[in-house]
Amino acid sequence: MRAVVKNGIGIFTPQGFLDGSSGNSFLSIDDIDGTIAQNADMILVSLKKVIFFNRNGLDSFVKMFQKVRSANHCTVGFCDYDTKKYAAIVKFYQDDLNFSLFKTQEIATLFSANYKNQNKNILLYNEDKSQRAAMAIELHDSGHNPIVAQSYSEFKEKSDAENAYDIIITDTYLGQMGQKVATRVTGNAIIYTVSSFLDAEIGNTFNIAYHNNSLNVGFRLFIFDAYKVISMNVHALNFFSKLSSAGAEYNATICFVGMSFDKTPKEFKETLEDSGIMFFSQMDDILQDKDMLEELGASSASNVKDKRAINKTTVTELPNFIDATVGTIEMMTNSKAIKESANINTIDISPKEGKIASSIGFYGDMDGMVILVFPTEIAKKACELLIGEETNDTELVLDTLAELVNIVGGKVKTLLADEHISVDITLPRTYPNIDSLLEIVQDKKGVQVDLSFNNDKFIFFLTR
Amino acid sequence: MQINIKYNILIKKDTIDNFIQKIPPAPQALKETLLHLNAGDLVKAANAAAQDKALSSYLKVLVNKPIYGFRNEVSDVSQIFGILGVSASQQVVYNYMMTLLSPSKWILFKLNRVLFYNLQADLSVNWQKILNHLHIDDKDILSSISLLPASIIVSEALFCEKKADVDLLRSVNQIDLNTVLQRLCGLDLFDICEQIAQKWEMPQAISDILQSASGVKPAKDETTNNLGKWMHLLLFYTLSQEKYVEAELNDFIDFQVEYVSDIYEEFSKVMEIS
Repeated sequence: MRAVVKNGIGIFTPQGFLDGSSGNSFLSIDDIDGTIAQNADMILVSLKKVIFFNRNGLDSFVKMFQKVRSANHCTVGFCDYDTKKYAAIVKFYQDDLNFSLFKTQEIATLFSANYKNQNKNILLYNEDKSQRAAMAIELHDSGHNPIVAQSYSEFKEKSDAENAYDIIITDTYLGQMGQKVATRVTGNAIIYTVSSFLDAEIGNTFNIAYHNNSLNVGFRLFIFDAYKVISMNVHALNFFSKLSSAGAEYNATICFVGMSFDKTPKEFKETLEDSGIMFFSQMDDILQDKDMLEELGASSASNVKDKRAINKTTVTELPNFIDATVGTIEMMTNSKAIKESANINTIDISPKEGKIASSIGFYGDMDGMVILVFPTEIAKKACELLIGEETNDTELVLDTLAELVNIVGGKVKTLLADEHISVDITLPRTYPNIDSLLEIVQDKKGVQVDLSFNNDKFIFFLTR
Repeated sequence: MQINIKYNILIKKDTIDNFIQKIPPAPQALKETLLHLNAGDLVKAANAAAQDKALSSYLKVLVNKPIYGFRNEVSDVSQIFGILGVSASQQVVYNYMMTLLSPSKWILFKLNRVLFYNLQADLSVNWQKILNHLHIDDKDILSSISLLPASIIVSEALFCEKKADVDLLRSVNQIDLNTVLQRLCGLDLFDICEQIAQKWEMPQAISDILQSASGVKPAKDETTNNLGKWMHLLLFYTLSQEKYVEAELNDFIDFQVEYVSDIYEEFSKVMEIS
């Protein structure tokens, strides 16, 4: 059984009865290795479709949690259960509860590095005082507004108030949280959160592939939220210096915010400044200063100096990219996809209105990015298999479009592997309008292919 | 620029029509066996069944599985029918009919002939246990469980050539095969099973219970709907066993927990789940 990964959260959904005899069979060694390779921020097992479980049945998943955690430092645990199941798990593991429990996937998302739904008013209650505090801190760090009920009666009273809270958290337990470097995107800046002691381990916990892809798709400002950093050693110093130098060719800027040098040698700061890293005491010093944001290249990618051109290697493999796209569209729509024209130039989208896009990067033996641009209504048709019913929820359509390009990426990977070209794919990115896409690609040359299915036209663009 | 585009449809309506068209008619010996069973004549039924070597061989293999709990090996068809009685004999004959549809080599699921027979035996014996508990003595209802594995056979037949695509699709979205089929072709696995049942002239009650057992199409008739719930839960009780999880059968369709929640306590007593 494999986990479905979405927005950095990988979810296993076993069904039926989890007891001692069946528990182990849900996860093979390949499944566990596959889960580790997905490099998700959070790995959860949903109990939504489990009607019965006992401790033996859960144990195989708990063993998987330990393996994934020690390899990936991500948050692991169970989700989607009722109060009775929560009580059973807590009783089974009592002093051994080193994984997390999230009542729903929505609650889990609040604690992930996803930051998709910020600024929520959240009422929370846990009978354990330290759990209440830990949750409140995590939620606050994630940009939410947690309201902690100190007693069950207070919780009951508060939760009875209608529409007072966006989300109410109960029956949730934070085990060891992820030590991965959490990532969130604010405007066009990427914020990484680092904490405690920065040492050689940063090389493992920092997702360098994500960072490189972010550079490649046009992000230029990277902010390290370092309020909770206690100290930094020489290995971490070297890591950040190199990261800054590597970003220089993209004209990227790295900033540290809130870093105290009480327990870190002062000369480290000078070394980091010499490598181009800037220091600020408050996050708002950057985010609220529009001039500063613009100067640092956060508001657009227009100051990209490195305009990488599409090269022969990429064009040679074009049929594979087209096949992957056409194959995916045909699979999703059950209708034939047709190539209408192909052209090498910068991307040409007209009219721009009413269109959305999604992209996926690939890197390894060759690198580049596939972009699909759809009129919104056509995107809905293309994603009908996954969406199911009629919807006007643009976010849902964008999310599903991301799944579609993920499939394209998976197919590209397979087709290239047949030719002994090894690539990895990045997480998909979506663009709710064409302007946001053009910020990234308007100056990039690439191959544009106009495609259609059932006479519904969409654009494929391959660039580097 | 020459671009070679391959046609890459996941599942076509034609494939389904083709599959249904290729369902072989029930062999003559089987028809006769069922006719005699229907008339309650076990001796004539056994004689008819004995003419079909594949059927008699299957009957021996199936009823000698440990789950049937016979102390000594039963080898004679008339003996088998005699022990099983009319209802259970009809059930095993329908089970045999289902094997006529099963592939010689499984690709989508990690199944083989032995494991498929085991699945049939596990479902059949536990269904009998459930019907005993519900005080239902009806040979068509007892036989309805035979049609359930047809949903697995149909999935295998329709998707086996697209395993990589199915895996890729399901790696990004938690979608079950029944939903894929429904959204792409407008009919689902259980509709196709019903067509198999019609082709083999199985009683309508069998199809009705099966449709309800899909978990997504509750029957209007309360008794049928209730039986559908028990069958849906039995399916997932069975598919949660180690050997079937390893065969990748656990999530080929969605388990509808809410649908069966009101019978779960009773089910767990019947199956002695602690």
